[in-house]
Amino acid sequence: MALNPSARAPDRCAVEMRGIVKDFFVGLRGSRVRALDHLDLRVAAGQIFGLLGPNGSGKSTAIRVLLGLIQPTRGEARLFGLPGTDIHARRAVGYLPESPRFHEYLSGRELVRFHGRLCGLQRASLHARVEAVLAWVGLGEAADRRVEAYSRGMLQRLGLAQALVHDPMLLVLDEPTAGVDPAGAADMMALIRRLKAEGRTILLTSHLLGQVEEICDRVGILDRGRLLLEGSLQELVGDADHRWLNLGSLSAVELDELHSWLVARGHPAATLSAGPARLDRIYLNRVAGNPP
Amino acid sequence: MAVLQRIGILAHNTLRAAARQRLFHLIILLAFALVLGARWFREFNFGAPELKFLADCGLGAMGFFGAALAITATGQLFFHELETRTAQTILAKPVRRSEFILGKLLGVGGLLLGFCVALALLLIAVLWSRESELMQQLPEAFENGRQVNYAGVLLAGALQWLKLIVLASLTLLVASFAQSQLFSVLAGFAILAIGHLQHLAHDAYRRSASAAVRLLGGAVVSAFPRFDIFGVADGLDAGLPAGSDIARVVAYGLGYAGIACALAIFSFGRREI
Repeated sequence: MALNPSARAPDRCAVEMRGIVKDFFVGLRGSRVRALDHLDLRVAAGQIFGLLGPNGSGKSTAIRVLLGLIQPTRGEARLFGLPGTDIHARRAVGYLPESPRFHEYLSGRELVRFHGRLCGLQRASLHARVEAVLAWVGLGEAADRRVEAYSRGMLQRLGLAQALVHDPMLLVLDEPTAGVDPAGAADMMALIRRLKAEGRTILLTSHLLGQVEEICDRVGILDRGRLLLEGSLQELVGDADHRWLNLGSLSAVELDELHSWLVARGHPAATLSAGPARLDRIYLNRVAGNPP
Repeated sequence: MAVLQRIGILAHNTLRAAARQRLFHLIILLAFALVLGARWFREFNFGAPELKFLADCGLGAMGFFGAALAITATGQLFFHELETRTAQTILAKPVRRSEFILGKLLGVGGLLLGFCVALALLLIAVLWSRESELMQQLPEAFENGRQVNYAGVLLAGALQWLKLIVLASLTLLVASFAQSQLFSVLAGFAILAIGHLQHLAHDAYRRSASAAVRLLGGAVVSAFPRFDIFGVADGLDAGLPAGSDIARVVAYGLGYAGIACALAIFSFGRREI
């Protein structure tokens, strides 16, 4: 039943969520709020999967269901073929929650040791592993400082250290750059790129679409608990509704002529306009077009 | 083995969290101050009753401040993990919810054990010191030797600890489903009050002619532990209570704590983190 953390077979399914429905009941009258609406999601081992969506779209709820922190109303979530509620499955997972807070009375080193011991690391290997991950995330010098004195960016890196201490096959990163200043976000993205280079499976949620576009192999767009779109970046930007023409070689005069030509044929004036990154446009179109 | 190891790690972390909480320092200091200052509350100088007063005062401080510590520590340490979402990070690791609950309870139990042992030893030191003074001042009152049964004081401290464990378990049971720390703490104090008044309800319902009252009274008596049962030893009795009496109290306490803990595990297992 136990997983072998060193087995990173690319054909294995790391995450599988089938028909997940999650309803919350709020208020005195118990009004139902559907947070996840028949969510199907599959992340193959070795992939970097970006789950995108506006605030309240259900990204964090999906992660909590996956990790067995909350029970789905319907459906099934599996990690490497085992239910997320099974502790053997969670042995293979490292989790960085959104805006993480840790035991503030511990030092960074104590905290990572605590999580390492919870994951079953024995004293012989624990010390070396803790020092290695602290150095890896760049907290080697701050390791003896109390967590309460850490900046937001340092907390994110500490969160990554505790998620990595037991060398998991799958990393689940919930908004890893949220609330971090640009320099801290860049540091965090650099660390995630290094994890990608190591061949780890990563499921991450983010609002920073440019960054997701840069590192993810596949992307899913979630809104109001529904998965609106899912596929590789190539598949998404090659969507029949979204063809892209590189006009970089045209002069300003030629662009004006092209614009006039489009307008004369009845296309809206905004058809030819400078736009945000490609994924941003797909994201905004899909989310805006998702009926309540 | 791994299960026990994880419970131990969680208990150790809970104890470490408790050791750094100022509120708990204050409660413990107040209890110590009460025991140390008991002999100066009044000018006693008439032999054994003063020692009885000191013992009552010390065990009372252990019971009162220990109860405050058991309730607030359980509520605070449990809810802090939920509110700061550190519980999410822990439970996303290979840790069962039952282990989390048992780790919390054992951590609080360790805190209460340290409190009871320290207070019992302090009380013994205070009693010994005062008894020695009185033996010199009033030798005729101590013709038969020392009057304080120090083993009894230790036994009373141990039973107080067991009572506090029962109280902490019940508070943890409430916390496992409650939505706020305040509710858990208030419920804990309500359980404490009910537990101490149980014997009155017990007497009243057994005398009642109404079957409904007897049924209701019986249900209340069964649902809440009787805390007066844990006061079988006070340290000034000539001898220790019978072993069978002590065993019965221990079984009663462990039974209540075990049931409360099992229900807390069941309830927390269904909770959304």
